Amino acid sequence: MSVNIAVERRRVVHIALLVAVIAGLLFATGLLDGAFAQGGPFGAPRTQAPAPPVGGVLGWIFTKQAEFYRQFSSLLRAAKADGSAAWSLLGLSFLYGIFHAAGPGHGKAVISSYIIANNETWTRGVVLSFASALLQALVAVAVVGLAAALLNATAATMGRAVNVIEIVSYSLIIVIGVRLLWVKGRAFLALLHTLHRPAAVGAAVTPRPHDHAHHGHAHHSHAHNGHDHSHGHDYGHHHHGEGHAHHHHHADDEDASAWGHAHAPEPEELAGPGGWKRGLSAIVAVGLRPCSGAILVLVFALAQGLFWAGVASTFVMGIGTAITVAVIASIAVGARAWAQHLADARSGYGMLAMRGVEVGAAVVIIAFGALLLTGYMVSERMVGI
Amino acid sequence: MIHRFFFCAAAAFAGLVIATAAAQAHPHIWVTVKSELVYAPDGTVTGVRHAWTFDDMFSVFATQGIESKKKGEFTREELAPLAEVNVTSLKEYDFFTYAKANGKKIEFDEPPAGYYLDFNPKDTVLTLYFTLPLKTPVKAKDLTLEVYDREFFVDFSFAEKDPVKLVGAPAHCKLSIGRPQEMSAALTQQLSQLAADQRDPSLTIGAEYANKIAVKCP
Repeated sequence: MSVNIAVERRRVVHIALLVAVIAGLLFATGLLDGAFAQGGPFGAPRTQAPAPPVGGVLGWIFTKQAEFYRQFSSLLRAAKADGSAAWSLLGLSFLYGIFHAAGPGHGKAVISSYIIANNETWTRGVVLSFASALLQALVAVAVVGLAAALLNATAATMGRAVNVIEIVSYSLIIVIGVRLLWVKGRAFLALLHTLHRPAAVGAAVTPRPHDHAHHGHAHHSHAHNGHDHSHGHDYGHHHHGEGHAHHHHHADDEDASAWGHAHAPEPEELAGPGGWKRGLSAIVAVGLRPCSGAILVLVFALAQGLFWAGVASTFVMGIGTAITVAVIASIAVGARAWAQHLADARSGYGMLAMRGVEVGAAVVIIAFGALLLTGYMVSERMVGI
Repeated sequence: MIHRFFFCAAAAFAGLVIATAAAQAHPHIWVTVKSELVYAPDGTVTGVRHAWTFDDMFSVFATQGIESKKKGEFTREELAPLAEVNVTSLKEYDFFTYAKANGKKIEFDEPPAGYYLDFNPKDTVLTLYFTLPLKTPVKAKDLTLEVYDREFFVDFSFAEKDPVKLVGAPAHCKLSIGRPQEMSAALTQQLSQLAADQRDPSLTIGAEYANKIAVKCP
């Protein structure tokens, strides 16, 4: 009886900790919202003091991108008279893309959270960054190409089109977050359950040497191959884990499966169709929304009769953006690996913490999507005062 | 130990997210401002007349797809629907105009009809003309007027020549104009010494970017 109470109390402590982590992350999201939305134009309270551009490195980035941006119109005009100016235009687009991606939008936060929640590899992080940035460029070209070049639509019409795209994009972000929360939340609870089972506690909490990890890998991928991929990998993981928690016939297996989960996904997992499909949803969610800067440049280029120069500029801009996002994604991968390293030293509870972080990251994605969708956070105001 | 780990991991992640996302959008629209402060015969301020000239890129974007008789040129009538959209949506942003009389905030009414957009085909730029009447005209010894976008999506700056005029003001009123400070090398240097989350109170960058008109009528 007393054992049960102790276990119960520990469970309560853990749930409280999880709630604290989530609250902390939400708070961080709120801070960040305040940092760049300044209340937003959509009826949210607006402070009276002017928002100073952020100082330090960010202030510098901020000044630089504005500087670059202002040169677009003169370079596009120059390119009209002298084709060689197009090279300067492309160089400028590249630099602008690199600097501009540091600003809001462009999905850095969503991609980073996604990488952390989903335990993505560095390669996948880079691919996600490039694919979403290039999709963004493609959407900008498609919007201006269809609406302005073909249909001669007005700026207001393009604004409305972008609005619809935004709603779809932000909803998709929420869907991805909810799906991750469902998968990761269940994994977290299953692990918690496992850790608190007297028999399981012994197996999972006792630190085990690392050679077990190898066993875990083999075992894990084996189980995986047998799994129905249409369920998605996280699902696969989860069932696998849960199955063990319920049967735990074998202490070693229990431990192995826990470690197996914590490690980076095996190559075959990445190559699997489900793996790429999973990434595709993130690419589409993040890359769907075109950047207003690109749309302005494209429309201006179109007016100068140099639409091709605008298209080239937009794609080069996308490459620049991708580089910045990829760097940030790499930091996310590194941070996760570092946390994993810490977690590994703490056996079962370290694992639990990792699951907790994943749950937190999923919550951050939902929060981002929700804030963007409700217009409380402006990712980048669409042009049209 | 577990607690500490939790905090470490959460803090690391939160820090990462903030560091990667806490940057602002840079301006996408540049506006050159010319304003007039309008006084009634009794010496009260009744309103502000603005003439805002947009940069060429935004002007070209805004006029995209608008039907015109002459290619590359737009008449006031052809631009009337666009002017209406602009003025209506500016309401959401308090017209980017903030005024104080004797240190107290004053409110503006919506612009009455009569606002319009002009297109300059040579520079391909649009200029928006509109009047902001004060809700209640005030007699002010000290009047300040600022034009800025706190989100810095629109970069406002006063025109080089004759940025502000007083119309019908009592003769003893004195006008002074504060321009946004250029981002000088020295300021950039100063800024780079600050941590990203640090705001030096002596370095009020926001105020330095703001366009401030001060009228003293002692």
